[in-house]
Amino acid sequence: MPDETKSNPASECARVEPKPAPDACASPESAVAAKEEEIRSLVDRLKRLQAEFENYRKRILRDLAAVEERTSDREILAVLPLYDNLERAFSVYAEDANVEAFVAGVERIFGQFAQILDQRGVRRIPTVGERFDPSLHEALLSIHSPQERNLILEEFSPGYVRGERTLQPSKVSVSQGPTQVEKEER
Amino acid sequence: MKEKIIGIDLGTTFSCVAVLEGGSPTIITNSEGERITPSVVAFTDGGERLVGRLARRQAITNPTRTIASIKRQMGTDHRIKIDVQGKTTEYSPEQISAMILQKLKQDAEAHLGGRVNKAVITVPAYFNDAQRQATKDAGTIAGLEVMRIINEPTAAALAYGLDKQHEQTILVYDLGGGTFDVSILEIGDGVFDVLATDGDTRLGGDDFDQRVVDWLLEEFRKDTGISLTGDPSAMQRLRDAAESAKKELSSRMETTINLPYITADASGPKHLEKKLTRAKFEAMIDDYLQRTISIVDATLRESGKTAETIHQVVLVGGSTRIPKVQELVGKRIPGKINREINPDEVVAAGAAIQGGVLAGEVDEIVLLDVTPLTLSIETLGGVATPLIERNTTIPTEKTKTFTTADDNQPAVEIHVVQGERKMASDNKSLGKFQLTGLPPAPRGIPQIDVTFNIDADGILHVTAKDKATEKTASIAITDSSRLDSTEIERMRKAASEHAEEDRRKSEHAEIRNRADQLTYSVEKAMADLGAKVDGKKRSEIEDRVRALRAKLEENASTDELKHAMDELSKSAQDVVSKAYGEAQGAAQPGGPAGEREAGGGDEPDDGGYIDAEYDKK
Repeated sequence: MPDETKSNPASECARVEPKPAPDACASPESAVAAKEEEIRSLVDRLKRLQAEFENYRKRILRDLAAVEERTSDREILAVLPLYDNLERAFSVYAEDANVEAFVAGVERIFGQFAQILDQRGVRRIPTVGERFDPSLHEALLSIHSPQERNLILEEFSPGYVRGERTLQPSKVSVSQGPTQVEKEER
Repeated sequence: MKEKIIGIDLGTTFSCVAVLEGGSPTIITNSEGERITPSVVAFTDGGERLVGRLARRQAITNPTRTIASIKRQMGTDHRIKIDVQGKTTEYSPEQISAMILQKLKQDAEAHLGGRVNKAVITVPAYFNDAQRQATKDAGTIAGLEVMRIINEPTAAALAYGLDKQHEQTILVYDLGGGTFDVSILEIGDGVFDVLATDGDTRLGGDDFDQRVVDWLLEEFRKDTGISLTGDPSAMQRLRDAAESAKKELSSRMETTINLPYITADASGPKHLEKKLTRAKFEAMIDDYLQRTISIVDATLRESGKTAETIHQVVLVGGSTRIPKVQELVGKRIPGKINREINPDEVVAAGAAIQGGVLAGEVDEIVLLDVTPLTLSIETLGGVATPLIERNTTIPTEKTKTFTTADDNQPAVEIHVVQGERKMASDNKSLGKFQLTGLPPAPRGIPQIDVTFNIDADGILHVTAKDKATEKTASIAITDSSRLDSTEIERMRKAASEHAEEDRRKSEHAEIRNRADQLTYSVEKAMADLGAKVDGKKRSEIEDRVRALRAKLEENASTDELKHAMDELSKSAQDVVSKAYGEAQGAAQPGGPAGEREAGGGDEPDDGGYIDAEYDKK
């Protein structure tokens, strides 16, 4: 069984001196053989590099999926205390139906939630009275109003940004400006 | 490097762009971080142009200057009149499509970090010459040289590499957000021939969402007497919830649609909470799905083919994720169903492959194989320890360091196995050989590098090398990647069927190894520090070591072993922690021991090779 595992195929003269030195590689046959050997070795290296790239790509995809999983684990861990605290609030309320105490408790949990969002740089998008901007807002309704066209009239559900990115646009109604009749009256 | 040619799926509701990188297609994310871009264009009051997600968000406030589904107008004389600040501009469908293409081009340029000038664009198989020409013109307007217009079903088939297989007939079932297409293609010698194509330009996933919304509205009205149809906020929440319920039902049997504070009346706030089962959802959309199947039938008739003569089916479009769709198609067509590639992206991926072929990039890429199954060696306890995972592209080389299981072990046997099972004996044995002449050393001290090297021809060279003596032994196995596909499938199935059993076996083997290691560690620690341990403690520890040894010998269960290990660890905690501290640095235990042989004492022999014994199966 031949045990050659790593080959250094190109002959020394071909490797050291790309343009064959006349004295070292005198015979044309050996020069050709050396070149062939060099080509073979280069093709092998190319294939290995390419295979490595493919495997790298596969690994990156696997790693990305793993990172995503861990990131979502972290986020779940961040909100689990809220879940637990809400559960506590309900069980306390079940024992003693004190509405005021319950609301006060839930308010604290809400504050805790706001803090978690704040720590992550999540900011609520301002809406009513602002100018509609599709990079921040999504229009659900467009209505005639005395307000200037494209001003936001109402917020249906809040939107959030984190840094420069819009996590979720606010869902809003937008002024179409005055009605046709009003316009013509002007 | 040759100039990249991007592949573009210019869709009715969504578009997608991909490029070939290192021989396989990569989907390009847009500037909003999404892999597909809504095919919507808008002009704001100030004349600013919006494309994609942003255009869609403002559609309601700006309906006269927002254009969706322009694909339906391609190749017609239709003109879109846009008034901006009192000035009317007319746009042709080509110009609007060009704006979408321009955005995709910019996103591709951002991804590739350079100019993109050339593209392959896909069109439905039923597009006529005028529509194809219009698509090409749209590309030109966008500053793209359209290297080729290809059919969407053809692109999907390319993405699956079906052109590289034998001559065959395939059916492409494309159920997107708003359109449904069926095409029957014949492939031979890399040439695609569309035998028949049919569809419904107004049928898709959006209709399914609407059915769920209608059902929710009706249920809510029955429960509360309140109609939500006039409430845009509630309606939007219903639509979003319906879409996510639909998606969730592709992987779960039941989902709950929970919309608290959906509305309020004089009696207070109202909440909507409804359970939707997969069966119920399937019943809701059954007429739509049956319609797609009758269109499949009609297309088959037109092509002159029967369901039995279709070799393969390719599923395209997000709605083909619905299990019922897959079931119905599978029932109708007995051939193989391809659905591994993301159905939203498969057309763009195929276009990118076509682009790579036209760019000459594919010629440059040497087609490389992958290892169909994991290649491992057998380690202590009969566990298969993987060196090269399945689906690794070859040629490749991996090295892991192993050690001995016994004191003064003179040789290790390297047993090479192939398969996904946890225990070596359940996998296929490819060959074994021995590395002999290890100098005497305590277990766990020798470091033996085992290298798996598969060359481009699939020949596996396995080399074992003792780091101390530089001695090596090796074999070459020629058939490591030459399993036929049925055998691979069988082995993979067996692996998944036996996953739980394998996990137990491998856990058992691992516990045995740890137990074994523990007895040695404790003994070693006692030998080193024993004098400092008082006699009573000492005999207790020794008893427990013996007890654990006995358990190992009688092949006790995992739990019994764990228990005995815990006992021993408890009584020898201080001693063991010191001992373990030292053992941590050692390599993982490997190669089942060969026969014991004292005083092998070979001097390191300057890396000379030794002949390996090996038997290849």
